Amino acid sequence: MAIDNIHRLLDEAFAGIPSTPEVQDLKEEMRSNLIARVAELEAGGSTPQDAAHRAIRELGDIHALVEAESIATAQPAVRPSAELLHARYRVRPKPAFVVRVTVAAAIGAAALVFGVVLGSGATAAEPVAALGMAGLLSTAVFWIVADSLQQETTTNHPMPQPRAAGYGLGAGVTVLGLGLTALIVIGAIPVWVAFVPALLVAGAAVLFAFLGATQTNRHKAWVREIQRSQVVANHFDHDPASAARFGIYSAAIWTTALVAFIVLGLTVGWWWALLAFPAALVVMFVTLARMLFPAKR
Amino acid sequence: MTDHTVPAADDAFAADLLRGHTDTIVLGVLRRGERYGFEIYKTIRDATGGRYEIKEATLYATYRRLERDGLAESYWGDETQGGRRKYYRITDAGRSVYHRNVTAWVATRTIIDSLLETSD
Repeated sequence: MAIDNIHRLLDEAFAGIPSTPEVQDLKEEMRSNLIARVAELEAGGSTPQDAAHRAIRELGDIHALVEAESIATAQPAVRPSAELLHARYRVRPKPAFVVRVTVAAAIGAAALVFGVVLGSGATAAEPVAALGMAGLLSTAVFWIVADSLQQETTTNHPMPQPRAAGYGLGAGVTVLGLGLTALIVIGAIPVWVAFVPALLVAGAAVLFAFLGATQTNRHKAWVREIQRSQVVANHFDHDPASAARFGIYSAAIWTTALVAFIVLGLTVGWWWALLAFPAALVVMFVTLARMLFPAKR
Repeated sequence: MTDHTVPAADDAFAADLLRGHTDTIVLGVLRRGERYGFEIYKTIRDATGGRYEIKEATLYATYRRLERDGLAESYWGDETQGGRRKYYRITDAGRSVYHRNVTAWVATRTIIDSLLETSD
């Protein structure tokens, strides 16, 4: 059997190499790749014996590879400070980006002011204009968030466009929800419409939870180097399952808040029902804190 | 298959040049989906019609470097038969570095092309 040969030849190739966890990991990875390569050679007509020997030969010098690995992972004697590295890898902001964000911020601020003025007015046409201002403000927020996340920073690589747009959408929808809530509070639109902002904010919370749970690394190599030398107690980094669990908890919390809002609204009144949302926010943050930094046993 | 009109010295030059881009080539393969070691090796070999085979030892060193720099992440599959496979997936940082390297390569290629053409 070629597979038995592979196991034997691999053991021979690793003979005399101290068996650290890294070496074991490399050996196991090589084993599965060798099995796949042997299967390919045998399908091409090689005898099992030849296939095993050829696959092992193709690997090259394992001793040299293991040595190169242990040198590469060895800690340098003197480590430059984080400040020095930060200065060395500094990324300057792009002028066009600064202009875009400044314009978007100015438009957003103007929309906020006009929205409040229009919303507090009493004529029939003004609530529609106020809604338009809320839409403009949320678009500005979407733009600022999505554009900013796509910028390279000194410590992070730029975020891919779709993911940055996702975060921007979440932020924009949240602001739209809050804007509608504000219009309800000042009496520009009726209280029973509150299910719309509730849906928007709940949807944004679910989107944020999804983006957070699926987020991959963006740190630059020098930042990771520093992080390795420090112990950071971020639970989500070590345990992606609890990040996913947090996403599910958030969805449950906001669904519950929405149901509570409707039930309270129909029983004790819409004003009291609004309390369901700050309550849900508090519960979500307590959950987040407990899951990110679990109590020591 | 070997192209017999190209002298051996040019093959060596091309291999050297290619070796300098191993990280980017592997990132380019991972961009299309999660793969384990042999699949990556095979994708590169088949994409070049078998003319260029990256040494497997080079690839193992590349995977470890990409992981250390946070450009790729790895996880062990749960195969029941044969060896367990170690899969690699590209990170957002990896995508970003890939795009930057491709841009740099295109710019370099343009310069080299124009320089070589003028010396004709």
